[in-house]
Parts: sequence; C-alpha cells; structure tokens
Amino acid sequence: MIKELYNYRELLKTNVKKEIRGKYKGSFLGILWSFVNPLLMTLVYAIVFPFILKSTEPHYVTFIIIGILPWTWFTNSIALGTTTVLGNAGIIKKVYFPREILPISVVTSGMINFLISCLIIGIFLICSGIGFSPYILLLPVIVLAQYLFSLGVILITSAIDIYVRDLEYIINFVVNMLFYATPILYSPEMFAGTPIATLIKLNPMGTIINAYRDIFFYKQMPNLGSLLILIGGCFLFCVIGYFIFKKLSKGFAEEV
Amino acid sequence: MLKNAIVVKDVTKNFKLYYDKPSTLKERLVFWNKKKADVHTVLENVSLDIKKGETVALIGVNGSGKSTLLKLMTKIIYPTSGKITTEGKLTSLLELGAGFHPDFTGRENIYFNAAIFGLTKQEIDKRLEDIIEFSELGEFIDSPVRTYSSGMYMRLAFSVAINVDAEILLIDEILAVGDAHFQEKCFSKLEELKNSNKTIVIVSHSLHSVKKLCTRFVWIHEGKIKMDGNEKVIDEYMKVCG
Repeated sequence: MIKELYNYRELLKTNVKKEIRGKYKGSFLGILWSFVNPLLMTLVYAIVFPFILKSTEPHYVTFIIIGILPWTWFTNSIALGTTTVLGNAGIIKKVYFPREILPISVVTSGMINFLISCLIIGIFLICSGIGFSPYILLLPVIVLAQYLFSLGVILITSAIDIYVRDLEYIINFVVNMLFYATPILYSPEMFAGTPIATLIKLNPMGTIINAYRDIFFYKQMPNLGSLLILIGGCFLFCVIGYFIFKKLSKGFAEEV
Repeated sequence: MLKNAIVVKDVTKNFKLYYDKPSTLKERLVFWNKKKADVHTVLENVSLDIKKGETVALIGVNGSGKSTLLKLMTKIIYPTSGKITTEGKLTSLLELGAGFHPDFTGRENIYFNAAIFGLTKQEIDKRLEDIIEFSELGEFIDSPVRTYSSGMYMRLAFSVAINVDAEILLIDEILAVGDAHFQEKCFSKLEELKNSNKTIVIVSHSLHSVKKLCTRFVWIHEGKIKMDGNEKVIDEYMKVCG
C-alpha cells in the first residue's frame, strides 16, 4: 500500500496543488480567499458574541481565531472530503489509480492552508501582546492528531457517500452541531462540572482545539497524555477507515 | 517460451441492472422490499493469455463485452469471479484528458494528466518536450485548456497518453483523434511502440486500421470468446457482421 502510494506521489502532489490553487482560480483575490474567509468569520463572532456572553476572555478576538482556523481546516476537509470521490467520478470511471489519493489530498491541502494561516495567528499573538512560548514547537503533534482524525473520518464518509448520497447532508448537519460542542467560541472552563464538560472531552476536536489554545494562547504545556492517546486512537481509526475504503472502492466505478 | 503480460482466468462479470436505483436513504427505506435488480452477465468464463510483445485487437459488435474486458484489465472494475493478473506497468487510454483542469494551462495539465498515469515529476520533465512537440500545439501550450478547440484538446491528451511509456497499453476506440495528418501520426507512433516490444490491446470497430496494426485478433461475442487467431478472424467476423 505504502509502495503504491509512493509510486503515485506525483499525482498526490498535483492533486494537492489543484485543490489549493484551482479552487479560487479566476477570482480576484485568488488563494487569499482561504484566509479572508476565516478572518471575516472571526470578525462576525468578535462583534456578536461579546453582546451575548456577559463576560468574555480578555483578547477575545485572538482567543477565537485560534479556534476558528483549525476548525476551518476540519470542516472544509469533511465537507470536501465526503464528496471527493463522487466529484471525481469522471476520472474514477476512466483511469486506474489508488483511490485513497483523493481523500488524502483533500486533508493534505487543508493542512497546508492551515499551516500558512498560522501566520495570521502569529500576527494576532504579536499585536495583542501575548507573544510566543516554546510550547509552539508542539504544533506538529497537534496537527498530526487533527490530520489523522480528519482523514479517518473522510476515508469512511467518502466511500459510503457513493452508495448512500444522503450522507453528505447528514454529515453537514453533524459538523454544524459539532461546532457548538467544540470549545471554539467559549472556553471549556465555563462548563466545568456539568455533563457538557464530559461531552467536550469525548469530542476529539475539543481536545485538539484545547491543545492549540494551550500552546498559542495560554502559553502552557498541553495535556500531552490525552493528545498521545488521541493520536494512537486516530491512527487506529485511520487504519479501519482505510480498510473500509479499500473494500468499498472496488465498486466505485460502477456506482458513481 | 514468451512471458505472459496479461492473464485472464475464468473471468465472469455481472452487472446489476437497476430499474430505478435507490440512491438516497428515503428511497431505500420506502422501496426496501422492491425487487432489487436484474443481473446481467456481460462476460462469462472468459480465459485469455496475452503474451509479452503481442498486439491484440478485441473485436465484436456493440455490447459484446470488449470494453468491459478492457476495464477489468486496468482494474477500474473488478470481476465477479475469476482472476486477472498483469505483469508490468500498465496504461489505459479509455478516455483522453482524464484529470484535465480547464483553468490551468496546457503545460500544467500535462503534469496533472501524466501524474494520473503514475509518472513522477522527473519522468514527466524528461518527456515534456516530446509531448509538446507531438501535440503540435506550439505557443498554445501556455494558454488555459478551456480556450482550446476540441481538436487541440484531444491532441494534447493523446500526446500525453502515448508518451507515458508503459509496458502494456490498453486502448479503447480512440484512434479517431484529430485530422487525417494527426491520425496518421498516432498510427505510426503505435507501430513504433509495437516494434519496441510493448504489449498492446486495442478495442476498435475500425477493422481496417487494426488489421494493419495487430497480429492477433480476439472476437468476443455475447460475453464469450468466439474466435481467437490471426487475420482470418477478421475475415470471418466481416462475413457475419460486415
């Protein structure tokens, strides 16, 4: 499997390139849209939420942008990833290539976008006077956890979507719900001691966002133990997802 | 003893014929007890050995299963029963221009398209000049593909496909590309590949050109191999279907 993927590495590369550059090709701002979009979202939340919540964190804008940028990567990966096999029906029917390239390139291009947008986080950290801590070096660990989790999800959803097209709408709804169950606009301490806190803990994206916040915002050591357990779990999840994908992929050309 | 390039062993392929295929959850739930589908057997117990360096034409009327057999060889679809093994790098030209992105230039699309065939960057770099020259696109190579005429599009696509340098080449009815001059060029390129000991399998209805190119002819009729041999197969086929 690894060997075949290695042989097709150029396809993976061009696919990632196509995902990143092709999406906004023809628009005036081009690739900048990948960064303008989350910034606008942050702006809306930054204006609206201080009205709803009585007291917000100090540096609230920086606080939410650290949550929103990884979340954008996650929801884009899930939304695009779920339909990626269906969207590439044309080439799936006509050429053989390892199909898992498609979901992998969706998550990878999202990751590259996110890594670039970390510059925005950096700018916010400097402007708000929070500054940096050496814990930033743990960023790759958190990114890896999120990468594996997203990939595991879309390996399964993209394959099932071919057989049951409803899945993309269900997934959209679930992801929208998950947004509120993930500490993006609020900090998990607000719910300490309530059942909601347990819910957040069970949500992998909750652990991941908290870890981003620890290294960027609170400048403290993230809960490395739970992060490593998460990576292990997500890796296993990916392997299971891969087998499901492989099994279902034999019928792709006939079903799309 | 020549080595086998493609071995097809007892392959049967069934397609399900849905009369109103339920693809959403609602339809599945509402019509759960509806008769699912009819099974249509496209290929039945087909066995075929293709030796290395052979140039084989698959002939037969529409719906006889030739294209299905070709798709099975490329692993786009999988047999219901039986086994297919191939030896060596394989390229299939079932459709030209797979993976082309209209907003990118011809040059960029060469990379996309060749990458789908499993080439690495260095391999593509090496062939780039050949591909551009073969396509005769000249300065248009740096314009976006959406500005191309359909003839230019096909020429570029064919140039990439033919320059992939695979050991096994599977071709489905794409010899009719471009004008007479370009067709002739494609044909002589195929001749060249044939002489350099590549294995070629062609599905075609243009009996005249395959007769010139191929050395072995397999007549498929209603999912079974009816005849397999030299030029006489074509003559027989012409008698029945011509």
